[in-house]
Amino acid sequence: MVKAVPLWLKIATYVFIALIVVLMLAPLIVVVGTSFSANQFIAFPPRDFSLEWYRKVLSSDAYLGSAGLSLAIALLVTLSAVIIGGAAAIAIHRRQLPKSELLGALFLSPLILPTIIYAIGLLMFWSAAFGRVSFVTLWIGHTAITLPYVVRTTLAVLTESDPFIEEAARTMGAGRIQRLFFVVLPQCRPGLAAGAFFAFNISFDEAVLSLFLRTPDLTTLPVQIYGQLEFSPDPSVAAVSTIMIALTVLLILVIDRVLGIGKFASA
Amino acid sequence: MNTDRAENALLVSPGLLLLALAFFLPIARMLGLSVMAEEGGFTLAHFAQFVSEPYYLGVLWRTIRLSFIITLVSALVGFPLAYIMARTGPRARLWLIIVILLPLMTSVVIRTFGWMVIFERGGIVSGTLYDLGLVKRNFTLMRTETAIVIGMVQVLLPFMTLSILGVITRIDQRLEEAARTMGCNFLQSFRHVVLPLSMPGIAAGSLLAFTLSASSFVTPSLLGGPRLQVLASSIYSSVTQTLDWHFAAAQAVILFLGIALTLIPYFRLTGGRHG
Repeated sequence: MVKAVPLWLKIATYVFIALIVVLMLAPLIVVVGTSFSANQFIAFPPRDFSLEWYRKVLSSDAYLGSAGLSLAIALLVTLSAVIIGGAAAIAIHRRQLPKSELLGALFLSPLILPTIIYAIGLLMFWSAAFGRVSFVTLWIGHTAITLPYVVRTTLAVLTESDPFIEEAARTMGAGRIQRLFFVVLPQCRPGLAAGAFFAFNISFDEAVLSLFLRTPDLTTLPVQIYGQLEFSPDPSVAAVSTIMIALTVLLILVIDRVLGIGKFASA
Repeated sequence: MNTDRAENALLVSPGLLLLALAFFLPIARMLGLSVMAEEGGFTLAHFAQFVSEPYYLGVLWRTIRLSFIITLVSALVGFPLAYIMARTGPRARLWLIIVILLPLMTSVVIRTFGWMVIFERGGIVSGTLYDLGLVKRNFTLMRTETAIVIGMVQVLLPFMTLSILGVITRIDQRLEEAARTMGCNFLQSFRHVVLPLSMPGIAAGSLLAFTLSASSFVTPSLLGGPRLQVLASSIYSSVTQTLDWHFAAAQAVILFLGIALTLIPYFRLTGGRHG
């Protein structure tokens, strides 16, 4: 055995890790703490506790409306991104199409382009071609930026799967549709699940694209929060944010159950 | 064989259609607008406007400078963090991953809100320093570049750390042990073995952090306020306040070119493997 790490370095490591935990979690803890304030003003730590702001949020049309919109879009985006991205990943993986490498790169390209550049492009294009942006604009836009995640996670799973299983099914007389639905799709399942989690989370939390495409009756929850922060933050924003954080924690727990969190981090 | 091809073409076509119509066409439209005069026809006036006004050059310089500082701080913090994560036990690693993943999966808007509460006049930072008698006045960190850097490092640290972690976990630990048996102390083996072998991860993480911070909008505009504009917030005000879409497009192209110039040498070096 080699000599262990010197003591001072061990202490430094613990201090460093403590600082990291503070840096990463402080903004979240502060938001959660502020939401229980009984005061009109945003203050951390709150002096008196109450659930008043949660009651306000749950009876506010602005928050409920934007939350409904965000949820509807996130669910539709998850569905469309998984179907379209999963299908594309299967086709790219088989490498029978010309330029499969290029196709793969093409599908990942929205990852490289900053969202703000895409947002302004989509806004300009949509206004010129169809006029006002609509629910469909948000749906399509969100699908375009979440598609790469589904393609990437599905491709990663397929690369590790046994290519001869599909061939075996073919020799055993399975038809095209049977092979796709009973052999290939089950192989893709972990990748599709990871991609679905990414797509839902990114779409639900997405602020920049939705901000550029916002209209008075098309405001998602992150955009609603952003507007409040710019204009007049009060503890109700903290209450909404806390609900979103709780949702995220729930999502992480589900991911851990389904896929294992360590695996997810490397995706 | 031919029907196989038809099947695959069918599978890939919805995605291609979506990318073409909803991704590449909008970008082409934006590129077009940036070189189009208000009354039609080709012009470089919008770019000339950007280059000739000291205000916008200042915005560009602030964007580059802040992105550089944010990337540097993220790398300095992210590298030791990734190393600790790679070399610690599975339980501790899991907790550290959760500490990194939970914020990463929370909306940037919410995290920025948290920093706003912390940095506010009378907030935890200034309040504590004041109570300890370390500062004379009750100051605020809001609307400062320091606030932007801290907020952005919190956003980008997960990307940086996970990029480096991927590389460090593949380093053979016996190399370090060999260095130690050959007489290196811990820091020497770190300096001569771990650091050089981690370089690809540090480079990948840094490029990711740089491009993400150069184009980030929410955190700089909320923490920096209207007086500390970066390129992204300047694009946003051109779209929503002055309604000058051509100029907004030109600024977006400048941002895009800047990022492409940063990425090209990297793709040359790695063949796009870490893309």
